[in-house]
Amino acid sequence: MPSRSNSDTAQQIPIDAGPRANFTESIRIKLRVPARLRNLELLLLLLAFVIDAGAVALVQFGALGGIHTSIFYLLAALGILILVLHFVLRVVATNADPLILPIITVLNGLGIAMIYRLDLARGVDKMQGDGERQIIWTALAIVLALLVIVVIRNHRVLQRYRYVAMFSGIVLLLLPMIPHLGHTINGARLWIRIFDFTFQPGELGKIALAIFFAGYLVTARDSLSMVGTKVLGMTLPRARDLGPILVVFAASMAVLIFQKDLGTSLLYFGLFLVMIYVATGRASWIVLGLGMFAVGALVANQLLSYVNGRITGWLDAFSPEYYDKEGGSFQLVQGLFGLAHGGIIGTGLGSGRPDLTPLASSDYIISALGEELGLVGLFAILALYLLFVSRGFRIGFAGQDDFGRLLAVGLSFVIALQVFIVIGGVTRVIPLTGLTTPFLAAGGSSLVANWIIAALLLRLSDSVRSQPRAVIE
Amino acid sequence: MSDLTLLILRLVFLVVLWAFVFAVVYALRSDLFGQKVRRQAADAAAANPFPSSPVAAAPVAPVQVPLPVPNDAPTAAVRPMTPTPGGPATRLIITGGPKEGLEIELPREQLTIGRSSESGLVIRDDYTSTHHARLMMWNNAWVVQDLDSTNGTYLDGTRVTVPTPIPMNTPIKIGTTSFELRR
Repeated sequence: MPSRSNSDTAQQIPIDAGPRANFTESIRIKLRVPARLRNLELLLLLLAFVIDAGAVALVQFGALGGIHTSIFYLLAALGILILVLHFVLRVVATNADPLILPIITVLNGLGIAMIYRLDLARGVDKMQGDGERQIIWTALAIVLALLVIVVIRNHRVLQRYRYVAMFSGIVLLLLPMIPHLGHTINGARLWIRIFDFTFQPGELGKIALAIFFAGYLVTARDSLSMVGTKVLGMTLPRARDLGPILVVFAASMAVLIFQKDLGTSLLYFGLFLVMIYVATGRASWIVLGLGMFAVGALVANQLLSYVNGRITGWLDAFSPEYYDKEGGSFQLVQGLFGLAHGGIIGTGLGSGRPDLTPLASSDYIISALGEELGLVGLFAILALYLLFVSRGFRIGFAGQDDFGRLLAVGLSFVIALQVFIVIGGVTRVIPLTGLTTPFLAAGGSSLVANWIIAALLLRLSDSVRSQPRAVIE
Repeated sequence: MSDLTLLILRLVFLVVLWAFVFAVVYALRSDLFGQKVRRQAADAAAANPFPSSPVAAAPVAPVQVPLPVPNDAPTAAVRPMTPTPGGPATRLIITGGPKEGLEIELPREQLTIGRSSESGLVIRDDYTSTHHARLMMWNNAWVVQDLDSTNGTYLDGTRVTVPTPIPMNTPIKIGTTSFELRR
């Protein structure tokens, strides 16, 4: 009966075969075919574990000169959690994309190895360093991702909650502005603090906003794309349709002004622009939005000293004046020196001096990895991000319901944009802004949010493959 | 450990990292999504050969028991039928009912029809059963099988009782919907 090879198998099963033969035949095939994807995933996961363990072992050889087993027990526990996630996928999302999980396992493991390496450089005792904290956050993030996959069996349910998502997105954005709850780190008021525990709610906010944008644009895109006047070969939207983009613009400017964070503001606005572009297919939204953001950024450059500082520090990074200035380009230039020191194949894990750069484990983890793995390693990391994002776009492309398509594109684009903003900032392509590198950087909220994004993409890819071809009602 | 061993280990690490990247790219090549552009119908079927196999739903499973007696079975099913010139149908076109004019690509091996949301073609009207019928590719020709539905499946006006080959451009009626297979 059905099998991927051609009709010779079909001929072996005559039509008059007994019911039993038919019965078992069907079952055998039902089990065999979907498992192909999961087996591929398992294979790649095993390779991913080898890479992660190898990275930590090399860090120990380089920095300590020998193997210390204690951290490997923690890593093994993480590996078991990931395998649990894998086996849950076998049951609840057999057709999910097999590449997402291995890719993020490698990225996350490289991040842990580098954070652990920076702990060793600072001489931090075990069980207190950022490395252990990162492992614990990763475990929590995996458990949450697992819950998302088990609880959300159909992504279309999320469309029903689009206004709940909008509300929670806005609340998450505004939480840090509440007095006593909000917490300022390095000038940016992006964190909330409960007892000794800090969290960056904006990271989860990006998921909520992606869900809301997708749900909203599915219903609103006709009015946003059909009418308008043609100017210079582009169809400009009507003035009254500008409402949503103005609201999002105002929100991102509020983040820029009150929370003093350029990156987050750019991330939200960019996410909305791309989703509205994908939903309507009109380049005029991009032109309009980028124009608005450019004007906003110019005004902010004039009025807000921290934005101005970032931009001059970017344009004139190597002048001694900005290099020595408080909040100047010292960190940026240290990161560049680190990358230069790494060269093509890097100094080797555990042998560079990435700890000389401030915030090397969070904002600057890319320059730390670039120093120790070199251009070759850095490009491998970028290739992994590229593959991850391309999987997300692919899922969106293959999707059959508009909400799922938009959501997949939105979620994967938000990762792509975040990677661009961070790595672009560190490598001095764009002004430096504080965002976390997805999956790599130290920071619990970012890990949790990105693992949830991965879980949603896994769920979407499963329903894309299992969806009916057509529904007649 | 000597510096040389360490250097070699580091190079090996980079090689393995890139090997992983290329393994992923290699998997992409044969991945079902990747093929979707080139051979849409084929890989969709491979990904999900039994979207709503009667076996999956226990109550419907016995339906398979009253399969045709050997002698009465359509020739198409028993011995290799001469393939229709130009190959089997590739499209299903709704010719009557609420979604008249809708056209879907046929999968490579089978398409299930029914009210269940797992079906390949979901028809939700009052006359359709949960697992109503299925179209199967047998020996390079499409065959329709009624899955013991309440209101029946009609091929060109006659109720389908045994798996019957579907000629090109012949209406099949399920509930209020009728469709044809075209090349």
